Amino acid sequence: MLWLVQFSGIALLFAGSPLLWGVTQSVKAHLQGRRGPSVWQMYRVIAKNLEKETTAPEFSSLIFRLAPSVSMTALTVVLIMIPLSGQAPQGWPDDLLTVFFLLALERFWVGLSGLDSAGTFGGLGASRTSTIGTGIEPALLATFGVLWKVSGATAIEPVSASLKAVPTGVFAWSLAAISFALIVLAELGRMPVDNPDTHLELTMIHEATILENNGRLLALSQFAMTLKLTVMTALGWVIFGPHLASAWANLGLMLVELTGTSAALGWIESRFTKIRYFQLPTYLSIAAGIGMLAFALSSGGFNL
Amino acid sequence: MTFGLITAVFLAALAGMMNRKLSNTSTLISSLGILILGGLVLLRGGSATVAHGIFYLSTLGGWFLIVLGVVATMSSWYRWGYPDHSRTTSIWLPIFLLSMMTVIVAGNSWVFLTAWETMTISSFFLVTTHHEKPGVLQSGYIYLVMSQLSAMFILAGFMAIGSQLHSFDFAIWAAHASTMPDSYKNLVFLLLGLGFGIKSGIVPFHIWLPRAHPVAPAPISALMSGAMIKLGIFGIMQFLLIDLGQSDRFWPLVVLAVGAVSALLGVLYALMEHDLKRLLAYHSIENIGIILLGVGVMGVGIDWQQPALTFLGLAASLFHTLNHAIFKSQLFLAAGAVEKHTGTLDADHLGGLIRTMPGIAIGFLAGSMAITALPPFNGFVSEWLTFRGLLTVASHSVFLMGIYGLGLAMALGLTGALAGVCFIKAFGTIFLGEPRKAVGHTTIPASMTWPVLSLGLLSLVLGIFPQPLLNLLGHVGLQTQAGHTDLGNLLVSVKTLTVAALLLAGTAIFAVFSRVWQIKTVPRWSCGRVPDASMQFTSASFTKAIRTTFAFIYRPHRKLERLGQHAPDFADRLLYQGGTVPVWERHVYKPMYRWIWRVSHLSTRMQAGPIRLYLAYLLGTVGLMIAIIH
Repeated sequence: MLWLVQFSGIALLFAGSPLLWGVTQSVKAHLQGRRGPSVWQMYRVIAKNLEKETTAPEFSSLIFRLAPSVSMTALTVVLIMIPLSGQAPQGWPDDLLTVFFLLALERFWVGLSGLDSAGTFGGLGASRTSTIGTGIEPALLATFGVLWKVSGATAIEPVSASLKAVPTGVFAWSLAAISFALIVLAELGRMPVDNPDTHLELTMIHEATILENNGRLLALSQFAMTLKLTVMTALGWVIFGPHLASAWANLGLMLVELTGTSAALGWIESRFTKIRYFQLPTYLSIAAGIGMLAFALSSGGFNL
Repeated sequence: MTFGLITAVFLAALAGMMNRKLSNTSTLISSLGILILGGLVLLRGGSATVAHGIFYLSTLGGWFLIVLGVVATMSSWYRWGYPDHSRTTSIWLPIFLLSMMTVIVAGNSWVFLTAWETMTISSFFLVTTHHEKPGVLQSGYIYLVMSQLSAMFILAGFMAIGSQLHSFDFAIWAAHASTMPDSYKNLVFLLLGLGFGIKSGIVPFHIWLPRAHPVAPAPISALMSGAMIKLGIFGIMQFLLIDLGQSDRFWPLVVLAVGAVSALLGVLYALMEHDLKRLLAYHSIENIGIILLGVGVMGVGIDWQQPALTFLGLAASLFHTLNHAIFKSQLFLAAGAVEKHTGTLDADHLGGLIRTMPGIAIGFLAGSMAITALPPFNGFVSEWLTFRGLLTVASHSVFLMGIYGLGLAMALGLTGALAGVCFIKAFGTIFLGEPRKAVGHTTIPASMTWPVLSLGLLSLVLGIFPQPLLNLLGHVGLQTQAGHTDLGNLLVSVKTLTVAALLLAGTAIFAVFSRVWQIKTVPRWSCGRVPDASMQFTSASFTKAIRTTFAFIYRPHRKLERLGQHAPDFADRLLYQGGTVPVWERHVYKPMYRWIWRVSHLSTRMQAGPIRLYLAYLLGTVGLMIAIIH
C-alpha cells in the first residue's frame, strides 16, 4: 500500500514539476498586471528544446555533456528518497544526510560544467553557485539537527508531532521552518538571492552556468531546475507540514501544498528585490543562526 | 608467523637499500608484506607481544598497517614509471617504509621512539631529494625542527607514563594506564596530544606541512600525506583514548575543537593556493581535522560510557583515515603525473588536460569527488559517520553542549562545501577548458596512470560496499571495549548500494536520452568578440567571493600601479599585485623565532668558550648539588 502511494507520488511530482514552475510564473505575471504565458509554458519550452540540435562549445569535454544528466539524476534520487506520504515504505532509502550529500553532488557537477565550457559566463556561474553553496550547507545542517534531535532518527520524517511534546516546541518548529524556507530560496536561486528571469550577466547566477547549454542538454537542465523546486518544497512540507492519518490523503495534501508554495513564490518574487551578491553571506548566516536557535529551543528549555 | 613476516619485510627493504636496481621490486615486496601483516593482525583479533616484547601487535595497529600498506604498494607501483631514480630515494625510501611499520608494531617506547626518529630523518632526506632547487632545504629544515619538537613532547609524555607505571612496555601500558591518577592523565594528554598533533599537522602547528609535502617527489608526498601524518592519529588513539580510558571530560571537547579549527582553516588556506601540490597539502590538514572530529566523538563516548557512541566515533575516524590515505595518495600521484606531463603545477598556467591525459583526469575526478564526500565514493560514507557522531553528541546533551555539538557539525558542513569549491576549482582549471599557457605534453607511461585509476576504483568500491570493512573495524572496537553493539545498523539507513545503483542507472539513462554522442562542437559564446584562453576564470578569480567573505582570516591586499608617461589618465601598462597575508607565519612564528634568536644570543655570553669558565660552571654545579643534598 505504502509502496503504491510512494511510487504514484514520485511519478506525479516528477511529471508535474514543470507545471509548478508554470504556476509561479503565472502568479507573478498576474501580480505584475500582465497576462503572462499559460501554466503549461515550461512543457512547451522543454519540448521545443528537445527538437533542436544539440551543440557544445569548443574545448568542452565529456564533463560538460554529462553534467545535466548527473544533475537530473541527483535530484531524481532525492525525490525518490522523500517519503511523500509522510511515512516511508519498509526498507526505503530515506536517509536525511544522504539528501544533503546528493545536493552537494548536483552542485559539484554544475560547477564543473561551467568551467568546462571554457567561457567567461560558465566560470562566473560556477564560482557564484558554489560560493552560495558554502552558505547553504551549514545552514541546512542546523535544520537537520532539529529533526535529528526530536525524532532521534536518521530518516526524513515529520517533526511537528514530536515537537508538540516539548514545552518550547512551537517556537523551535516555527524558527526551524523559517530557517529552512530561507535556505530553500537560496538553494533554488529565487528572489531575494537570484532572479531566475534575468538575462543580465552582472547579476545572473544559475543562468550563467547553463548559458552554453542548448538542445537536449538545455532541456535536461531546465527540467532539473523545475525538479529542484519541487524536491526542496516537498522536503520542507514532509518535515514541517501537517500530517494526516491516511497515506493517500497525505499525498493529496502534498499536491495542494506544493501548488500553494509555487503561488507564494510568485508573490515573493513580485514583492522583494534581489540583494547584492556580496551581502549573501549575511543572509545565509542569518538563516544558520535562526536554525541554531531552533535547535537550542528544541531541547525543551534553557537548563544548563 | 607474524615475526617471520616482519623479518621478511626488513630483509626485502634492506636488499632494496643495497642495490639500486632491486630498489623498485623490493619496495613493492615489502609494501605487500606490510599489507599482508596488517590483514593477518586484524583478522586474528586481540593483541599480542612478539619477540619478547620488542613488538606489540594490536588490532588498531593492524588497521594502520593496512593503511600504510595500501599507500606504499600503490606508490611503489607508480615508481616504476616515475622518472626519478636518484640515489637518495632508493636508499631512504625503504628505511622510511620500515620505520613507519616499526612505529606501528613497536612493543616498547624505546623501539617506538627509535623508529619515530628514523622516520623523521629518512623523510627529511626524502623531502630534500632535490636540494639543488631554491627553497627546498629551507622547507626541509622547518619540517625537521617541527618534527623534533613533536618528538620531544612524545618523549616527555612517555616518560610521564613510564615513571608512573614503572614500565616502558606497551602491553603493560594497555593493561594498567587507565588506573593512573587524573592529574597524571592530564599531563600525559597535554604532552602526547601536542607531540602527535604536531606530527599530524593540526592548526596552529601545520606550517611544516604545506612546505614539506610539495617539494618532495610525488610518491614520497603520497606516502607522507597518506600514511605518515596518520601515525600521529594512531598515537592519539592508541595511547590517549584506548590506553588511558576515561580521562577528564574536557579533553575530548578540546580534540573536537582542534579538529574543527584544523578542518576549516585547512580548507580555507587550500582555496587560496594555485600550486596543485600545496593545495593538496592543505587538504591533508583539513582531513586530519575531520579525522580528529571522529576521534573526539570516540573520546566523548568513552567518557559518557556509551559503547555505541565510542564505536561510532572509532569507525568514523578509522574509516576516514583509510579513505583519506586512498584518495589523497591518488591525488598526489595524479599531481606528480601532471608535473611530469607539463612541467608545471601552477593551475593558472594549465587547462584542458583531460584531452591529453584522460586516464589521470578521470582518476583525479574520482579523487576529487571522494575527498568532497560525494556519493557513491568512500569519503561520503566516512563523513556521513562523522556527521552522525557529531549530531548524536549534539542531540544527547543539554543546552550549551548541544549548541557546541551542532556548531561542530555545521563547521564540518562548511568544510565539506568549501572543499567542494576547492576541487571544482582544482579539477576545473587544470583539467577542463582551454590551456591557459602553452606547456609541454610529455607522454606519461601507463604504470603512472594505472595506480591512480586503481585507487579511484578502490574508493568507489569502498563507497558502495563499506560493510565488510566496518565488520573488520568491529575487531578494533573489541579492543576498546566498544564491542560490536551497533555494528549491524550503523549504516543501515544509508543503503549505499541502492543510492549508487540509482545514481549510475539514472546518469546512464539521461545520458542516452540526451544523445551525448551526437553533440556537435561549435565556437563558444563570447559576446561577439574573438574568444581566447584569458577569458576563462582562473583559480584566483574563481575564489574571489570567498576571499572577500573570509577577509578577516585572509587579510587580502592588492596594489594597482599605473606605468607610463601620462599614467594617471592614459597608462601604458598596468601592474597588478594581490595576495593574502600568511597570518600564522607573520604573527606567531616570526615573533617567536625572533624571541628564540634573542635568547640564544644572550646565552653566548655564558658560553663564551674558554675552558676555565666551563670548569668553573662544573665546580659551581657540583657544589650546588652537594648543598641541596645536605
